[in-house]
Amino acid sequence: MNQAMKTDPFILRRYFALAIKNLRRRLVRTSLTIAGVALAVTVAVSLGGFMLGYRGAIDRSINMLGFQVMIMAKGCPYEAATMMLKGGTGLLYLPSDTYDKVKSDPEIESITPIFVGVAQKQGSGIRDDAGATNFSVISGIEVLSYKVMKPWIALKSGPGYDGGRWFEADSKTDVVLGFEAAEYEQRKVGDSFYASIAPAGKPEPVMHEFKVVGVLERTGTQDDGTVFMPIDVAREYFGRPAQLTILGIKLKQFNAVKMREFETRWLKLPEVQVVGLQQVKNTLVSLVATAQTMIAAVAVIAIIVALIGVINTILMSVYERTAEIGIMKALGARRGSIFQLIWLETVIICLIGALTGSILAVVGSSLVERAIRSIADFGVSGSIVSITPQVIMYAVSGAVALGFFGGLYPAWRASSMRPVGAISKGV
Amino acid sequence: MKHVIPYLVLASLTLGQQLFGAIGCTLSNPAEDLKFLYPEMTSFKEELNEFPRLKDGSSLFKGLKARLGSDLDSIYETYETPYTVYIVFKGSAKIGIVHGVNVPGKGGVIQVFLSMDPATAQIKSFFFQRLESPAARQLRTKEFRAQFTGLTLGDFYKHDYYAAVEPAAKADRVAAIKPPALEATGLPDYQASLRGVRKNLILLDCFVFGGRFEPFFERALQAAGKAKVGKD
Repeated sequence: MNQAMKTDPFILRRYFALAIKNLRRRLVRTSLTIAGVALAVTVAVSLGGFMLGYRGAIDRSINMLGFQVMIMAKGCPYEAATMMLKGGTGLLYLPSDTYDKVKSDPEIESITPIFVGVAQKQGSGIRDDAGATNFSVISGIEVLSYKVMKPWIALKSGPGYDGGRWFEADSKTDVVLGFEAAEYEQRKVGDSFYASIAPAGKPEPVMHEFKVVGVLERTGTQDDGTVFMPIDVAREYFGRPAQLTILGIKLKQFNAVKMREFETRWLKLPEVQVVGLQQVKNTLVSLVATAQTMIAAVAVIAIIVALIGVINTILMSVYERTAEIGIMKALGARRGSIFQLIWLETVIICLIGALTGSILAVVGSSLVERAIRSIADFGVSGSIVSITPQVIMYAVSGAVALGFFGGLYPAWRASSMRPVGAISKGV
Repeated sequence: MKHVIPYLVLASLTLGQQLFGAIGCTLSNPAEDLKFLYPEMTSFKEELNEFPRLKDGSSLFKGLKARLGSDLDSIYETYETPYTVYIVFKGSAKIGIVHGVNVPGKGGVIQVFLSMDPATAQIKSFFFQRLESPAARQLRTKEFRAQFTGLTLGDFYKHDYYAAVEPAAKADRVAAIKPPALEATGLPDYQASLRGVRKNLILLDCFVFGGRFEPFFERALQAAGKAKVGKD
């Protein structure tokens, strides 16, 4: 080919034009083959976008928590599961002096204590015997340290929300509502808010009337659905004056070694577990990865089917053009030239299919996202499908590379034909 | 797997919860709830209604305030609020209509649902889905709620009429509703509940019954106008 290019600098363009001309001869067949490749690439790009987008969404959500490490009571997640699934109020609590012990750790950049309690809503169904199926998650916090941990938290302003402020540490009547808690309860700044709280050890909840002194801007995290009040007041109302639920911690240096050291230091406390949010993230990613692997398998099958379709189309084209190829060879076309021509046809089909598929994936990404979300709640906010130029580049390169390999056999068959035999066979 | 569960649960606790939808009012378990209300039900249909999608939606929304007799909340009772009407069937026969509205109560939202006779537009039953209030127990009693059975939007408009021309008229069925024994803290939620019933009926008249009770409203409006002129 190098020799040919030296003698004719436009040889590649001529090959290309000839390949296109050949493909256009059987336009319907070529189009269907391209559609097959496009479909496979659409699936592959959407899947790649989902994998990337989901990881990004988890990262964003974890980062929006503010802290990298949590200290909580052992078994707490199981209790939390009971709370969420059964509507119980069985969260486990830490002794509040854990905070005093841990906060002196020299590796800690910032720390915030959080008390979480669940206020049952009164009968929330249409039946007379409707039990409490709705809950308000109440977080008792220390405003200053909480804001240090989550500097993006802001009070909403505008009609209905102007004049919003945080509560005083000793205020027993003021609450700040997360964006969705306010929306769900249709509360504005200055409104009253009822919460029925069952103190520890008491069978009947006590209804408290609070004043909404602020509503938070939407954060896309669990804070949106939370009712905030001073930590000491929450502890008092829940009848747990010397307990807390979580210590949220940001370390000065956060890496695997520092995390391990920190964990080792504080696991000596008998009643606590130290959980790095990286672990949570990895677990989530690995769980979804199983599903992603299955979808990826489907995508691979689609790609293989599409590739077989491409090979079949080119082979058929080669067989149909047996006489023509024989004549070309008889007229002096070299084996390499025939090989390159057929090979190029395969690659062109794959390239056009890949580009079309990528465009389809980008255009349909919102539909894909909606479909994925309708199947399962992934527990993260923000977009979970992110189709980046890199994803498209990988998909297109992969399709073209498969075209290279897929085109080898038809190109070899065509280039191996003997002129006389091919002409007589094809006529 | 056992190791995975804590992290999964923790993640679901710490990561964003499922977002609440637009501020509409829907049944928590439509199939179950409707079967409870209409045991003979064989199927049901949900119809989403929004003022922006209605012909003359803007003027209908403006009319809502006049018919309700009170201001609409500028944030939570907006033009864009969606309303879901449940239509209940037995075979192909329409046997019921169920619709709920949100009204701001004193300490939280109140969800007021009505099940209606599709032919007469009378209330078959009135119930709360969400009600957090010191008066919740009293307001949820069957005795109190049963007083609304058989009422129509026309009765509420007639109540306006009687209030203008003949207060304490015996024919005023709305005035005859006896509030449950409430402490002062529960009164705002009682009033919000009444407002919720009325708002619900007005919306149903608009979405389902084709403005059947508009003549009653016109009459009440005229009576109120005359009464005002008389006073002046």
